[in-house]
Formats: sequence, C-alpha cells, structure tokens
Amino acid sequence: MKFGWRAGLAAWAIAMPGTAWADAPVEAEEKPAVEAARPLDAAGALALVRQIDDRQRNSGDYKTQVYIERKERSKNDVVFEAVVYRRDADDKLMILFSAPKAEKGKGYLRIEKNLWMYDPTVGKWERRTERERIGGTDSRRADFDESRLAEEYGIEYNGLEKLGKFDVHKLTLSARKGVDVAYPKLVLWASTASGNVLKRQEYAASGKLMRTTYTPKWAKKFSQSKGSDVWTPKEIRIFDEVEKGNSTIILLKEQDLRSLPANLFTKAWLEAQSR
Amino acid sequence: MITLLRIAVRNLLQHRKRTLLLGAAIAMVTLLLVLLSALLNGMQATMLKTATTLMSGHVNVAGFYKVTSGMAAPVVTDYAKIKEIVKKETPGLQSVVLRGRGWGKLVSDVSSQQSAVTGIDIAEEKNFREVVQVAHGSVEGLKNPHTILIFQSVADRLEVKVGDRLTITSQTFRGASNTVDVEIVAIAKDLGMFSSFSSYVPQDTIRDLYLLDKSTTGAIQIYLKDADQAEAVAVRLETVLAKHGYRMMDRLAEPFFRKFDMVKREDWTGQKIDVTTWIDEMMFMRWVLIVMRALIGILVSVLLVIIVIGVMNTLWMAIRERTREIGTLRAIGMDRRVVLQMFVLEAGVLAVTATAVGVALSVVLIAGMNAAHLPVSKGFQMFLMSDTLHLIVDVPTAVRSLLIISVVTTLGSLQPAWRAARMQPVTAMHAN
Repeated sequence: MKFGWRAGLAAWAIAMPGTAWADAPVEAEEKPAVEAARPLDAAGALALVRQIDDRQRNSGDYKTQVYIERKERSKNDVVFEAVVYRRDADDKLMILFSAPKAEKGKGYLRIEKNLWMYDPTVGKWERRTERERIGGTDSRRADFDESRLAEEYGIEYNGLEKLGKFDVHKLTLSARKGVDVAYPKLVLWASTASGNVLKRQEYAASGKLMRTTYTPKWAKKFSQSKGSDVWTPKEIRIFDEVEKGNSTIILLKEQDLRSLPANLFTKAWLEAQSR
Repeated sequence: MITLLRIAVRNLLQHRKRTLLLGAAIAMVTLLLVLLSALLNGMQATMLKTATTLMSGHVNVAGFYKVTSGMAAPVVTDYAKIKEIVKKETPGLQSVVLRGRGWGKLVSDVSSQQSAVTGIDIAEEKNFREVVQVAHGSVEGLKNPHTILIFQSVADRLEVKVGDRLTITSQTFRGASNTVDVEIVAIAKDLGMFSSFSSYVPQDTIRDLYLLDKSTTGAIQIYLKDADQAEAVAVRLETVLAKHGYRMMDRLAEPFFRKFDMVKREDWTGQKIDVTTWIDEMMFMRWVLIVMRALIGILVSVLLVIIVIGVMNTLWMAIRERTREIGTLRAIGMDRRVVLQMFVLEAGVLAVTATAVGVALSVVLIAGMNAAHLPVSKGFQMFLMSDTLHLIVDVPTAVRSLLIISVVTTLGSLQPAWRAARMQPVTAMHAN
C-alpha cells in the first residue's frame, strides 16, 4: 500500500510526540502499539466501529470552540471561527459563527433531523440539507456531530496496514439501504492501539474519491453524564480530492462536557446572539 | 376643403426653410420612436426566443418529488404518461421537449464554478441548434453519453477547451455526494448573463448524477405556435392534469429554483405537478422589458412635448408674419372656422408628411442595421441574451407612431390657429 505526501504529513503529525494534545493532563497521546495487532473478524470489525462511535459519544452536552481554515486554489485563505454545541441525548447540534465579520451571527441548528441555517443579515431561517457544506468549506455537519458509523454503514474489514509508524485496521464502510448519508462509501484507518480513526476517505455514489481526512490529534476527557471517557478530535485536516489543492483544517479547542443551558438549542437563542 | 388643403400646401412651400426645419424635427422624432419600438420588439423577440429555448418552454409542466417532507427534487416521475396528456390536450401545440434540471459544480484541473446543469436530448432540440451558436466543437457530440456543452465565459474561467474533461459534483436528492466525469464536446458563444452559469448535458447524464431512473425528467417544455396563448394553455393543462388525478402545486409566478424553500417547508411527500409559463419562469426578463418600455415611453413623451412646443412656436411665428393676410381674408368674408381649419390643416399636412418620411427613413435604417449584424456590448448582452442586435419593425407599431405624432402635432397647432381665427379683421389689417 502506497501513501502519498498527505499520508506522510499526517503520519508525521501523528508521530510527533508531545505535540498539542500533551498540553493538558486530561488529553491522551496517540502511541504506537506495543504488541503486534491481530486482524479482526467480522464481529471484531463491528465491535471496533461501535467502539469508535461509543468513544466519541457523550450522552450529555458538549461545547467546543472551532477554527476552520479554508484553503481554495486561486482564492485567499479564509479562517472561520465558531462555537459548536451538542446535546447528544436529543440529537441536537448548533454551530454559531463569530468570524469572519461577514459570517458573524450566522448559525446552523439541527432540531429533529432538520438542519436549519440562520442568516442574520436577512433575519431568515432556511432549511438546509443534512449533508450541507458548513460555511462553504469542505467540512460538513457530520464532522462536528457525534459519530454514528455502526448505525449508518455496513462494515467490511480489509486487514492490517501501516500508517506511518502506526499499525492500523483498514475498514470499508458502505451506507445501509434507506439511510441518507453524505458519502455512500467510507474507508477508515483506525489505530490498533487506541481505536481512534487516523485517516478516513470518503467516496461519492459514483465511486469517486471525494475527501481524505486526517485526524492526527485526539483529546480524551472524562464525561460525568456518561460516566466514562469521551474522545474527540482536536484537529481535522480535510483534503478535497476532486478539486486538488483545496483543503480545510479544523481545530477544536476548549472542549467542554459540562451541561449547557436548557433553552440553548432554540431558534430564538441563536437569533439573540446576533442582536 | 381642397382649396384649404391647397392653401396649406402652398403656405408650407412658401416658407420652405421653416417647413423643412420643423418637418425634419418631426421626422427625426418619428424615426426615433419607430427605432426605439423596433429595438424593444427586437429585444423582446430575441429574449423570448433565446430564453424559451434555453431555460423554459412557452408552458412548462414540471414539479417536485419529495421522498421526505424536508427534501425536494425538481423531478417529474413517470413523465411519459404526462407527456401523452400534454400532447393530446394542448391546443396550438408546436413541439414538446424534455429537460433535466440540476445544479452542480464544474471542476476542471485548474478551477471550478457552480452551474445550472440542464439535461437535453439533442436529437429533439431543433430550436436549441438555432439559438446556440457553437464557437468550438459540435452540439452533435451531446448525442454521446457523459458529454457537456458549456459557454465561452465558463470555458475561459475553467481554462478548458473542447476534448478536455470536467467533473460535475453535486448531491443526489437524498443528499449523497455524487459525481460524473464528462467530456467537453462544444463551447458556445456567450448569450448574456445566462451563459455564465449554464451548461448542457445529455438527459441520461443528469439521471446518472442524481441517481434517477429513465422514467424521470425535470420538466416537459411545451412550445406553442402562438406564444401569447401560453397563459390560456397553462390554465387548461392545470385543469386537465388535476382531472387525471395529479396533485397540482398552487400557481406561483416564480422560477422553479426559487420554489425550493417553499416546497421544503410544506408537509407533503410524493409527486406534485407545477404548470408554469415562460413569464412565470423568467420574471427578471419581464421586469427588464417593463423598465425598457417605461424608459422609451418617457423619452418619447419628452420628445413629443418638445415637438408640440416647436409646432406651436412656429405657428405663432407664421400667424405673426401673416397677420395682415389673416385680416384681409377675414375682411373678404372668410369666417373664423375656416381660418382655424386653414392653420390646423397646414400643421396636419406638415405632420403627416414628416412622420411618413420619418417612418420610411427608420425602416431603411433598421433594415441596414439588421443587415450589418451590429454587435452589442457585454453589458447589454447580459439582458439581451444575444451577441448581435436585431430590430423588428411591425406594421401596427409604425402606423401607431405615424398616427400618434401626426395627431399630437396637429393638436399642438389648435391654440395658435384659434388665436388667429379670433383676430378682428380691422386690427389684423392695421398690423405691421
């Protein structure tokens, strides 16, 4: 299996000890496996994907500051700043933009499977598709939402591979019939040591590779509502495979698992932020 | 009356310089009025033909299909049945074509841009070949699957040429990402603002992009022998389709792409049919024409006021010069009514002759302009949807111009003529 320069970059980022996730005691560092990993059978692969979902799932609330840097060929780089709020128990999600100036006050709100976008310049709500590109970047709602891979996809195990210095399980996921997802096929490379997804490729219905995503940095925090650790990515690097040269980097900071106000996931609350 | 007419003509000939100046002014206004009307007619005809070929039929039977209440696809399912009904129930039908409706991102090796992607069956598209002027390649290439026709401005932006490949990316109506790779088979000359966001692919390519089966299409576009019957046909088809059991959308004079939000908000699933006319689909064009008409109306009104003032002023001068003559005529028995008729007739003869010359000149000028295929600026192309100017003189417009200017000019002479008729013969004969 050959890896391009991006894989190398990601592997380098993963391999660098003591980088960003070493700055807080509650965060975990990705380490190469000490023991040789074993290939998984079908049940093992399903268990791994369930573990990926479960480790990221927080039954309570979640809040994080995100910085999204969009790079597009022949355009200036743009940095978006937003706060993501989640209430996993009720499937609620809110993204509120604070920068750049043109996007300030703009927000996405997911209520009961409907994704709404609010534009304060016109004071209107628009219903958007769940698979919408957030803020025109390569990021999507799913990048900020809880992981539902086992629920949405069927799993095929492809074997063990090396990603840089890490041993990884390679899995191919195909969307289940009747489930609406942005990408009908995913290929995941999950660390054998931590179970974290380090690389992910997303394919269109035509079979064309659309995005490659690297998640070199993960954070682990104890969730009181869940009663166990919750893993969240600290950095996501998304490379557009159709428009070569376009990429998006997402940094997630100040992640907080404490309870959020009860009335937060409402249109009124989001509208009030831009007044 | 013949005598009065003769006097009027002789008076006009006697004051040749004044007659020529005023006549030339009236002729110029007539020419301008006919020219502007021909421009408006030409614009309307060009825009109607281009827009109704590229973007809409005279009447469209389209609609939305909703898998869930929150998802709206501009799709007509099982279109063959509807097409049969349309063919049977449309009076004055000329032709019917199918169009796939889509929106995607065209991605080349160096750039990308959003574009409306319309699915066509080129074998059925006679008007399309006439309207779209291909600069490179051939529209025949669209007979092959996974091909595309783009406009010059899009080709320039994407830095591509015929034979290059593009990837169209979009989301299926269920939200899944999808792509099709297409080969550029034709690059057409720009047709205004429409060109910068439009592209054409075979119907099946649209179906591949949106994962639709062959029984679906975006719209059934109907062309009538008389486009003015569009509204009546639309109303008839709405009734007929409803009788056949189709659920109809409420009539809304908006292009289909502006109905998405409204349709997504509505709580229904399945198919609903939407019947629209070309005016509904192209409201912007209607506004352009209304604004143009208003501007031309204002311009012509101002010119007419100037001409009327000119006529009145000239007749004042004529009356002043001919005061003694008026006094003599009144003294030998010509009554006031005949004096009034004489001056009005003089203005009338001048007006009719000058406007007739103006109309004749404008017809010759317009014929010359059409023969020259005058190119229009990029800015004007935005609205005109054509790269050359085409003017149309229709007989009713020319006759109307002739009548309006003649009548208005003649009416302008009433007041000075009335003043002349009221003169006392003694006073008039003593004037210097």
